[in-house]
Order: sequence, then C-alpha cells, then structure tokens
Amino acid sequence: MAAPLRGVLAGDAARWRHYTLAPALAVFLALTLLPIANLLVMSVHDIRWEQGVAQWAFAGTRHFAALPGDQLFRDGLVNTALFAVCAVSAELVLGFVLALFASRVVRGRLFYRTAFLLPILIPGIVIGAIWKLAYNPDFGVINQLLGLVGLPGKDWLGEKTLAFASIVVVDIWHWTPFVFLLLLAGLESLPQDVHEAARIDGASAWQELRHVTLPMMWPAIAVTAVFRLIVSFKVFDEVYLLTGGGPGTATEVLSFTVYRRFFTEDRIGYGSAMSVVVLSLLTLLIVVSLAALRRQRDEA
Amino acid sequence: MSIATAIPRATRLAALVTFAALAPAAALAQKVAPITVVINQSPWFGGFAKVVEAYEKETGNKVNLDVNPFAGSAEKQRSSVRSKEGQFDLLVMNSTWLAEFYHGGFLVPLNEIDPAFKLDPQVIGYDDTAYWDPKTKTNSSKTGQVYGVPINGNIGVLYYRADLYEQAGLKVPTTWDELLANARKLHNPPNVYGMVLRGARSASDISYDWMPYLHSYGGAIFKDEKAGDFTVTLNSPQAKQAFDMYLELAKTAGPPNPGSYGQAQVIQALVTGKAAHGTPVIAAWSQMDDPTKSAVVGKMGVAVLPRGPGGQHAPTLGHFIGAIPKNIPKERQVAALTFLKWFQTYDAQLKYAQAGQPPIRKDVYAAADFGKKPEYRWMKAMVDSAPYPRMMYTVPEGAQIVSVIELRLNQAVIGERTSTDALNTAAAEIHEIMRKAGYKTGRLPDLK
Amino acid sequence: MVGSRAASLGMHTVLAVAALVVIFPVVWIGIAALKTQIALLRGDVFFTPVWTNFNELLFSRSSDYLRDFLNSLIVASISTALVMVVATLAAYSLHRLGWPRWVPAAVLLWSLVFHMLPPITMVGPWYVMFRGLGLDNTYTGLVAAHLALNLPIGIWLLSVFVREIPIELEEAARVDGCTTPQMLWRIVVPLVAPGLAATAVICFVFSWNEFAVALNLTAKQTATVPVAIARFAQEYEIKHGVMAAGAVLSAIPAVLLLLVAQRHIVKGLTAGAIR
Repeated sequence: MAAPLRGVLAGDAARWRHYTLAPALAVFLALTLLPIANLLVMSVHDIRWEQGVAQWAFAGTRHFAALPGDQLFRDGLVNTALFAVCAVSAELVLGFVLALFASRVVRGRLFYRTAFLLPILIPGIVIGAIWKLAYNPDFGVINQLLGLVGLPGKDWLGEKTLAFASIVVVDIWHWTPFVFLLLLAGLESLPQDVHEAARIDGASAWQELRHVTLPMMWPAIAVTAVFRLIVSFKVFDEVYLLTGGGPGTATEVLSFTVYRRFFTEDRIGYGSAMSVVVLSLLTLLIVVSLAALRRQRDEA
Repeated sequence: MSIATAIPRATRLAALVTFAALAPAAALAQKVAPITVVINQSPWFGGFAKVVEAYEKETGNKVNLDVNPFAGSAEKQRSSVRSKEGQFDLLVMNSTWLAEFYHGGFLVPLNEIDPAFKLDPQVIGYDDTAYWDPKTKTNSSKTGQVYGVPINGNIGVLYYRADLYEQAGLKVPTTWDELLANARKLHNPPNVYGMVLRGARSASDISYDWMPYLHSYGGAIFKDEKAGDFTVTLNSPQAKQAFDMYLELAKTAGPPNPGSYGQAQVIQALVTGKAAHGTPVIAAWSQMDDPTKSAVVGKMGVAVLPRGPGGQHAPTLGHFIGAIPKNIPKERQVAALTFLKWFQTYDAQLKYAQAGQPPIRKDVYAAADFGKKPEYRWMKAMVDSAPYPRMMYTVPEGAQIVSVIELRLNQAVIGERTSTDALNTAAAEIHEIMRKAGYKTGRLPDLK
Repeated sequence: MVGSRAASLGMHTVLAVAALVVIFPVVWIGIAALKTQIALLRGDVFFTPVWTNFNELLFSRSSDYLRDFLNSLIVASISTALVMVVATLAAYSLHRLGWPRWVPAAVLLWSLVFHMLPPITMVGPWYVMFRGLGLDNTYTGLVAAHLALNLPIGIWLLSVFVREIPIELEEAARVDGCTTPQMLWRIVVPLVAPGLAATAVICFVFSWNEFAVALNLTAKQTATVPVAIARFAQEYEIKHGVMAAGAVLSAIPAVLLLLVAQRHIVKGLTAGAIR
C-alpha cells in the first residue's frame, strides 16, 4: 500500500518526500540514462572505425532481424532460460529451507549465517578457476573422492548435458547463500504476534508455514527471486572459465554470446541489439513468473 | 642569489653532471618525458619488467607499467585509443587485436615521429606484422611503413617428452605423420596420452591449435589475403587432409575428451607428466623446468612444429607488437619511440633472453652462452621456427571468423559433425561474414 | 519455541550437512593457497605447505595486492554506505510519503531495467563520461559507478523491509508530532535493521567483487582486488595458488562486516516496539 496517513502528511511529509527521493533520482539521471540511451541508439547503427574516427551508419532493424539466424544466440537463449529456471528454483527452495531452519534453531545461528555466506565472498574468477580444477577428470578432487568410494570418475565438463548440470551446480553453490541471507533477514523481520496467534489457535507447524509464514514472506521471496533471476541471466565468470560455452554450444549462455559479439568481435551495433532483446525477454520472463507466483500465493 | 634560484640552478648542475656521466651509456637514448606502457600480465612479463628497469637505469627515463589481466586488455586499449586523449603511450598489442587497431587507423607510423627510424634488420620478421600499408590494408614490409616493434615473439612449438623418446629410441618428428607415429607409440592411457590437443572451443583454442596443420598442408582460410582476395578456401581438399590428421591424432593418441582441453589443460597434462606431446606456445616453457610447477623438470624437449607432406612449417603467431597511438601529445610519442629504439638493440635483447624470454633479434639466439646450457634448449626450436610464423588473420573480422572455426571444429572433435560437414559449414559462414563486410570474396564448392 | 527435540535435531542435521557442502570448496580454496602449482594441478592430497603464493601475491614486482586491497576497501565501503543512505531514503519516500501510485512503480521498474544490463555494456559510455570529467582512475568515478550498479537492489530490498513496518506505528508517531527525519531515525532505521544489515553485506560484497567496470575505469593506482586476482589468470598459466591466496585475503573484510552487522540485529524488536 502506498498512500496512508492522509491528514498528517500535509506540510512536513510533502516537503520531505522530494528531498528523500532526490538523491536516488539524481543518481539515476546522471549515471543510468546515458548508458541505456546509448545502448538503444547503438542497436540501430553500425559503427566502424577508420583513421581513428568512428563512422556511424544507420542500420535500422537489420541487427534485430539477424538475431534469429545466429545459432549462438538461439542456443544461448534456450540454455540461459533453462539455466536460470533450474538454478534459481533450486536456490530459492534450498535457501528458504536453510533460512527457515537457521531462524528456528537456538544455537549456532551465527556460525551457520557466516558459513553459508562464504561462497558469495569469493570473486567469480576464482570460483571458475578452482571448480575447473575440481572437475578435471584426471586430477580433480571430485573424481578423486568418487574413486575413494569406488565410483568411476566422469568427464564433468566434457559431456554436453553433464557440463550443463555441472555449471548449474556451481551456480547453486555460489548463490544459495545470497537467497539464504535475504530470506533469513526477511524471516527475522516478520512480526512475531501473528505467529503466536496462529499457534494459540492450534495450528500445526506445517499449517503455520503455509498460511502464515509464506504469505508474509512473499514480498521478500519475490524480490529475491527476481534479482536472482536477473543475475543468473548475467552469469559470465563461471561459464567463461569452466567451459567457454562448450562442448559445442551446450553451455553457451547469453551474456557470453553478448560479450563475444560486443567485445571480442567488436560488433557494437549488433551486440547492443542483442542486449536490448535479452532485456525485453527478461522483463517478460519476470512479469510472467511474478504473475504465476502471485496466483500460487492467492490460491494458498 | 636567493635560495629559490640557487636550488633550481644546483639541480640543473647536478643533472648536467649526471647526464654527462651517463652519456656514453645513454648514447642511443636521450632524456624524454615519462611514458605509460599498457601491457598484460604473462609469464614473460617478468623478463620485460627487468628490461624496463635496465632502460630506466641506463637512460634516466621513466617508464610506468600498467599491467592488466589478459582478459580485458583489448577492451582497455580500445577505450584508450578511441577517446580524445589516450591514457597509454605505448600499446603492447597481441596478434589477436592487431588487425583491428591497424584497420581502425589508431596507430601512428613511426617515421612520422622520427623520419630516420628503421626496424633493425636483425629483428625477426613475424610475418611483416610490424609494417602496415593503409592503402592496400595489408602487412607488407615492401609497400608499408613501420608502425611498431615486436615485443615478444610468442609462437606455437612442439613440446615432447625427451626422456620417453630416449627410452623408446624415437627421433624428433618433422612431419605430422612422424608425429602421429611417435604419439601412437607413446600412447599408454590412462598413464600417458600420446598427444593432447587444444580441442576446446573458446576465444581461441582449437583454431589456434589447428592453424599450423592447415597452413603446412598448403591450405589457408582465404585464397590470397596479402593480395586482397578473400575467397574462402577453408573447405579445400588440403584443409580436409589437415583436419583429418588432427582428428586422427585426437582419436588414436589422445585422451578420451580432447574437446574439453583448452591451453591451460594441455599445459596441465604436460607438466603433470600425463602427456607425451602437446603444442602450446613457447611462453609456457617457463613452467616446464620449475620444480614448483612441474613434475617433469628437465624431461621436456622443444622443437619446431611439424609440417605436412611437401609443405612448410607454419607455427602460428601469438606474439605482441609495441606501437604508439595517435591520440597522445607529440613529446610522449617521441618518448615511447625512444624506448622502442632502445628495446630493439642487441644489449637489451640479450638481457631479455637471459631472463628466459624469447628475444626478437636473430643474432641474440646465436650468442655464445645459449647453445650450451640446458635451460636454454628452447632456443633451438625458436631459431628453427624463425622463418616460418604465420598470422591467423589480418582483418578486423578475424574474431568473428575464429568464433566460427572454434565452434565448427570443436563440434567435429566431439563427434557432432564429420570433418567434411564441419569445414563446409564453417566455410559457408565465413563467406557470409566477409560478404556482409564488403570484401572481395567467394567460396569453393562443398567438399563431398 | 521450536517444539519437539526431534524437530530441532532434524533441523540441525540438515543445516550441518548443508554447511559442510558449502564450506568444503571454501576450505579447499584455502588449502590451495598453500600448495605449489604442481601439487594443485596433480591434485595431491598430501603436500608440503608453502607460503610462496602469498609471497608472490603480496610482495612480488608483478603484484600490488596490498594497495589494491586498500582500494577495494575504500570503494566498497563508501559505495555501500552511499547505497544504504540513498536507498533507505528513497524506499521510505516511495512507499510511505504519499506519492501517487505510478511514481514508486516507475522508479522501481527503471531500476530493475537498469539492473538487467550486463555491466560491461555500461563501460563504454561511462568511460567516455568519466574521462571527460577527469574521473577515470579515481575513487570518485568507481564509487559513483558502483553506487549506480547497486542502487537498484538496495531500493528494492529496502522497499520490502520498509513496507513491513506497521502503519499504526507510524500513525501513532505522527500523532505524537514526529517529523519525517525523526521518524526515519527513531523508528524506520531500527525496525529495518535486519534488512539493512543484510542489504549492506550484499552491496558490499557485490562492489568488492565487481570486475568488468573496475577493470576499465581504473588503472594501476586505483585497481581493485578482482582486477589484481585476474592478473594471475594469465593466458598460458592460471596461477591457481596465487589466486586462491588472493581470494582468502579478499574474504576477510566481508566476514568482519557480517560479524559486525550481526551484532546490530536484534530479533524481536518489532514485537517490542508496538507496545
């Protein structure tokens, strides 16, 4: 709800509402307008450099038309969507369960909170490099451990479906802490009186979860899900270091394709168009998932 | 006189005396503005830094080194040359983005700074990449001007287990067929793989690894790049021979998953003793004899890359050229050129080689010390390779072309496509790229 | 509070197993920092620990880690502090100061759209902009960039927590003659403390680990930790040991921050404040 406190608001709040929003608006105006406008403009141009000067040529919708024919883009789209959905749902479930338990136990809460935070503290490039070593079929620690219990080692990054699954695993390891941290904070901010009332009324733990906790946690879960989804669409470091998009195009993800087209191949116009399309598709995905989540919540 | 004037005068006097003392050593270099060199971190960086230190000591000129990770180096240099005033005075560019910078017109011909400058004749040619002719848009020492000085002569070489060769009584291969035979003999999975290839798909793995095969079998991506004929010949019979040889090595002497080996994994296999042969670049040599990095210290041999039957050796360039951007003030351009002049001298290159890095001058390789000492045994391979290195591509569309080759060849290695299909598809896609970019191009009919 | 001991034991088991799975790779990275490169590449289980990785990271000519660490500390702390202030003010303003419906929707949507862009696509225009203002290779430039990058998540998260504050509480305070600044300081901030702490940690970590923009807007003097670590992922040699050492040291500030932030989270504040 956005418009409470009618009578008391005049004067004081009316003044302060502008001052308090101004800093954020200033940041957006100064720093975000230019990049987005730039991206949109570049997506309909072709830019070449000659004699040290940029030559802009209007390209209309040519770049957008070329996208469906780009195999890396098509595969990237499918892979990224699949990756995002698998990884994010797993992270939401795991993160929520862990946060729920961590908020309920009395002892060791600080330990769990710190322990679960550790993966996101590590720079993406280190995660990629270290997991690459771990997945190495000849020397990696994972196959070594499997060998200890008598199981055969696998080529984690060499087979197509396995490579995809391996990357999802790394992502889950990397980002469940993010979900955990936010949902734990959310759980701890919930007013306790509603829980107490439910318990007094004789509700079981499961009912309490479904009808009290989850609905109240919905905003926190939704925001975490949305941001997690967005960041998973931007996944780059891990893929770059683990598989480079291979084998074949099994792990080609969009941000990688964008990076390759935009930077490595220096096709700025085309890369911008790709970014714009990805952005639009992502917005669509978010709107659809939020609507689905909301319908689920309303049915509960 | 007041203190205020006395001190500057004293400083000037001191400077004069110091300069006079250093003059003989600094005869080649005069006192110039400080410069900033942009360069990426690498195994040979240590050697370069030592050489820079020597330059600063000898001439009193200041050189700042802006050291970046390799990933992102191209972007940083791009940003600098495209802005109104550049951040960097000397660009150390890798061969992968050399074409882009030449075509974009960002570099200044060195003779514009100093009409008398010439590249020392002892400096290795590196496929004429230090020269550029803006009219024909080619690297030509005949019609072009000199734009840069090579900083590092990194090329691909053949690493082989000299100890296993001795045990099995094998000779160093000069052709791919001989290499195949040797690799098969030493192939003993899972302990030792005969040959590890860079079959992975990345910014540049399998395409770089396969180029020497293609060129030494007499094939090429384009019909005649230097003459401006960009007819795509990637799917020629010679190319098929070259690729089939590659696949044969992978299948009969390689690990079960060559499609996931990037350069780092190939080097890992070599240093852990898991591979009998591999073809990473010479820059990886520093890891081979280091006991903290290698389990095969003293056991590695290096040789020039093999060639196809009747063909020429054709190692691919992965080198670095130092050039000067247009968008910096004249005095810094002069300063940067002063450094380059010093860098290409015999003394400077000798220091470079003593630090274990491939020097850019032919005569340094012949210096007395190196032939005898086992730690310099890599030099013979470099000398043998010197007349042959080739560029992968010389057009700004190179990155797109490599992208196609990486994907299609990798698909063949992992068994998704046949070699014929891979080459045909790649050729068709490259033709499209060149056609859209407005080059004079065409293509060969599909291989059957 | 939790009910049966069995349930408590069950929860502890799940948490402990999860903690093990999560910590194992982290510990492995810590161990990697003490291994020689060949020991790492070969996957040696038994090895002689060495300090050479830390040596190379901290003291070699090719590394400037201590300065880069300081740079990261400055940039991450300042940008996080700014994000927290700006986001809290904005979140409270949007949801509790009577803007018409479309204003919070527009601001939230714009920030989300901006957040969707890969940071590398912003490098180009930002580089040109900052260089024009003389802000490239400065703390100011990078702090501003990180402020922009993390503000969306700051505003969204704070929105969630601000909206959980019961309206009655605010109405009561207003009736008592509370001004907006007082409201923010005495009521809002204490109530969203857990959310503030979590968001601060997230923003700090994101800023600390940010690579693409940091690489392009900084040079030798202002380079940050991810740039420093990336220098060891070279084209022909990934120096895993040194990178691991860098990662170990790099995690320390965030862990400290988390421990400090925990101390300021007092559960059950909400229950107490209303009465």
